[in-house]
Amino acid sequence: MIDTERQNLRDEEFLINMGPQHPSTHGVLRLMLKMEGEFIRGITPHVGYLHRSIEKIAENRTYNQFTPFTDRIDYCASMPSNLAWATAVEKLAGIEVPERAEYIRVIMVELNRIASHLIWLGTMSLDLGAVTPFLYAFREREWILDLFEMTCGQRLTYHYIRIGGVSRDIPPEFEKSCRAFIKDFRTRVDDYEAILTENPIFLGRTRGIGILPLGLAKDLGASGPTIRGSNYPWDIRRAEPYSVYNKFDFEIPTGKNGDVWDRYIVRIREFRQSCRIIEQALDGLPEGDMIRAKMPAVLRPPAGEVFSRIEAPRGEMGYYIVSNGDKKPYRVKIRTASYGNLQTLAPMSLGWKIADLVAIFGSIDVILPEVDR
Amino acid sequence: MFELDGLLSGLYKIISDWFISHDIPVVWLDLLVMLFAAAAVIAALLLTALFLVWWERKISAHIQDRLGPMRTGPHGVLQTIADAIKLLQKEDIVPDAADKKVYFWAPVVAFVAAFLAYIVMPFGKGLIARDLNIGIVYIVAITSFTVISLLMAGWASNNKYALLGGMRSAAQIVSYEVPLTISLLGSVMLAGSLSMVDIVEAQGPYFWRWYWLPQILGFGIYFVSATAEANRTPFDLPEAEQELVAGFNIEYSGMKFAMFFLAEFINAFTISAVATTLFLGGWQPPLPGLAFVPSWIWFLAKTLFLVFVLMWFRWTYPRLRVDQLMDFAWKFLLPLAFVNLVLTGLGVYFFN
Amino acid sequence: MNAIKATIKGFWNLLVGLQTTAKHLPRRAVTLQYPDERWTMPERSRGVVVLLSDPETGELNCNACLVCVKQCPVNAIYVDQAKDPETDKRYPAEFRIDNTICCFCGICEEVCNFDAIKLTGKYEFAVFNKEELIYDKARLQEIGRDVKYEPKKKKKTEKPAPKSGSPAETEPGTEISNRHNSEEAQS
Repeated sequence: MIDTERQNLRDEEFLINMGPQHPSTHGVLRLMLKMEGEFIRGITPHVGYLHRSIEKIAENRTYNQFTPFTDRIDYCASMPSNLAWATAVEKLAGIEVPERAEYIRVIMVELNRIASHLIWLGTMSLDLGAVTPFLYAFREREWILDLFEMTCGQRLTYHYIRIGGVSRDIPPEFEKSCRAFIKDFRTRVDDYEAILTENPIFLGRTRGIGILPLGLAKDLGASGPTIRGSNYPWDIRRAEPYSVYNKFDFEIPTGKNGDVWDRYIVRIREFRQSCRIIEQALDGLPEGDMIRAKMPAVLRPPAGEVFSRIEAPRGEMGYYIVSNGDKKPYRVKIRTASYGNLQTLAPMSLGWKIADLVAIFGSIDVILPEVDR
Repeated sequence: MFELDGLLSGLYKIISDWFISHDIPVVWLDLLVMLFAAAAVIAALLLTALFLVWWERKISAHIQDRLGPMRTGPHGVLQTIADAIKLLQKEDIVPDAADKKVYFWAPVVAFVAAFLAYIVMPFGKGLIARDLNIGIVYIVAITSFTVISLLMAGWASNNKYALLGGMRSAAQIVSYEVPLTISLLGSVMLAGSLSMVDIVEAQGPYFWRWYWLPQILGFGIYFVSATAEANRTPFDLPEAEQELVAGFNIEYSGMKFAMFFLAEFINAFTISAVATTLFLGGWQPPLPGLAFVPSWIWFLAKTLFLVFVLMWFRWTYPRLRVDQLMDFAWKFLLPLAFVNLVLTGLGVYFFN
Repeated sequence: MNAIKATIKGFWNLLVGLQTTAKHLPRRAVTLQYPDERWTMPERSRGVVVLLSDPETGELNCNACLVCVKQCPVNAIYVDQAKDPETDKRYPAEFRIDNTICCFCGICEEVCNFDAIKLTGKYEFAVFNKEELIYDKARLQEIGRDVKYEPKKKKKTEKPAPKSGSPAETEPGTEISNRHNSEEAQS
């Protein structure tokens, strides 16, 4: 017989390490879970496994040379990352982007939003056990990646949206293929919804789980679909319009309760809204061949600072640039969406089980390179 | 023409005549027959397991718009053999602090338990190893064997995650046995016997006479419970890799893991075979005029169709959480199974 | 009553899910069976960097102006300048690209005024030894021999007008760092 009193056995709480390599943490994230039986009593995320000192590197590169690095901050949404940097520098240096370039940028960013949400859909349903939507999502993605490859030559890190415009004009075959893709994609989204949205097993795993109260979300700096799931229509494209988004007609989907299912349905609806935007942009694409503003050979923005943000697929991505008039920035600070969103994981998951933790983490759509930079 | 029934009885006659003419006691003949039946069943099942592994990969691939194994043999048919060779040559790691004897015997128990159910499985007309008169009860008893192997594996691995996984698997299987057994009783009541051969013969030859129609509820409950028994999605949380608790077989490698793996596939085949026997008419042909096709082909076709449905489920649905799984068994399936039982009883009383 | 309706609705949705996946069974798979079937790389692909040669003379177009070296964001290029005593033309004595660092961004191709360097659609360059990934001048020229390119038409050193597609030219004096030492680049 074990004398528990004398040996001081604490048999209630124990620590589990969900290590840096785990199929469900999307990237190298280490979570220390304080568990009581099956229930989670505390989470401590340990980040930094993917830190690459991108902000410091920026101090040693010229503005144009830094653009390939922005691709890698969030490689699933490389076009918006390029765009955030370009918009910030253009604001700082007062560069005006030609209109055709703006429309092309919108098309590319929205296509990349679809591609990024497809990764999210695949990995979240994979975590929940439905393997097939993962393969379907990646099959759709292949078409988008083919579109990107024909335009800029790469399938993941595009380096396409440059300061002042875009690097090359869209090839002639792009428009037809893009329209065909949009037409096909709408039926595919219906497929995903048929497999997941009203599925009772899926509902059981996601409805009412991991509710994020709006006040907490705002305090922790959540953005994007994470905060829109809590019935708060905050979208930078509407709140502080950039590029030519004020010319397009689209809705901001929101969820009602802030649970996992709401964040899921917000992103599914964003698929359709992005399709709308792309179609409008293709219809309204101006003629001409000015796709990059004339800029000096070596860009030396005036001394000053700027903060500019855009709506990346995961939330707000913002750049704070301090310039002292030199050809290299003095300081670049990157505000990424996943950093704020990851902070909501701990309070949201308290009291739920590990299986729920996986669902909640999937619904926040965190990507670690953004968190660690 | 390919009816193995006639072939086997002819063979038996020849051998028994030889035994009688040489004055050998009958017990040797019976022993020979039993060994032959066991060997035949084991061989058939191993081949089936080989086929099923390949088939699962191909079906899952085509559901997911891809091709699956294509390079090992034409269309990847030799893939399972390649996998088996790979598992055979892996290092057999035994954790230092594991309970060695229990650790060794757990996969053996799982493997043997998977095979034992086939003694009473009617593969075709006259093709049954032993037609026990308690046929279906014997099968239900054998499926409980797997629980022992899970507990052994979970405990002996000396790994708290394996233990938790083993416990959860065991709880799941034990819970789902109750609605499974009760849903089977409907068919037993309609057939009036527990023997598998009697149930098949009571169903008769045409598909509208088989028991899936009057027992549609029972069939549904049986199939869902059996999916949970075999630890297949949507009920495979205890062995999912995405969770922390990675399942009872986390410490096993090489051939021991292969045994668990094969046992799982053979279990899937078992539950389909039982469903075929009790609800889909076993080896009976579905339509008049198709009786020339050998009976074991009908059995195989129906069973493989049900295995296909199992795979279809696996690649479509997400997983249930463990507590939802238990809720589902106790609060939903069990009352429904009782309702089915009552309705069947009333039906048998009034319409017979 | 609500519970029964919810159950029936759930059951129906499960069947709809099955139908959605079954639709894919008879369809053609989208798999490309590499290496028997290969993808045709689009014309603009950004893969391995090659050095282009003049189609008639067979000599490298590069005149060692060092612009690509200085503009490369990851310092993957190393060039040694040399001058031919007879023709007084500058040429690269040594041209090394470290493919373990190159990020295939395409900046070197964009800033080159002499059609000397290009990113091609080649992607099959895996090796067993990391040292073999550092391509020297001979190798770069060899893999660039079969690459078709559109000359930028400006062979003189005049300022090219900003074409739609290329950024404005950069001053040769721009530097990333003083590091031209390739030993560090290879570590």
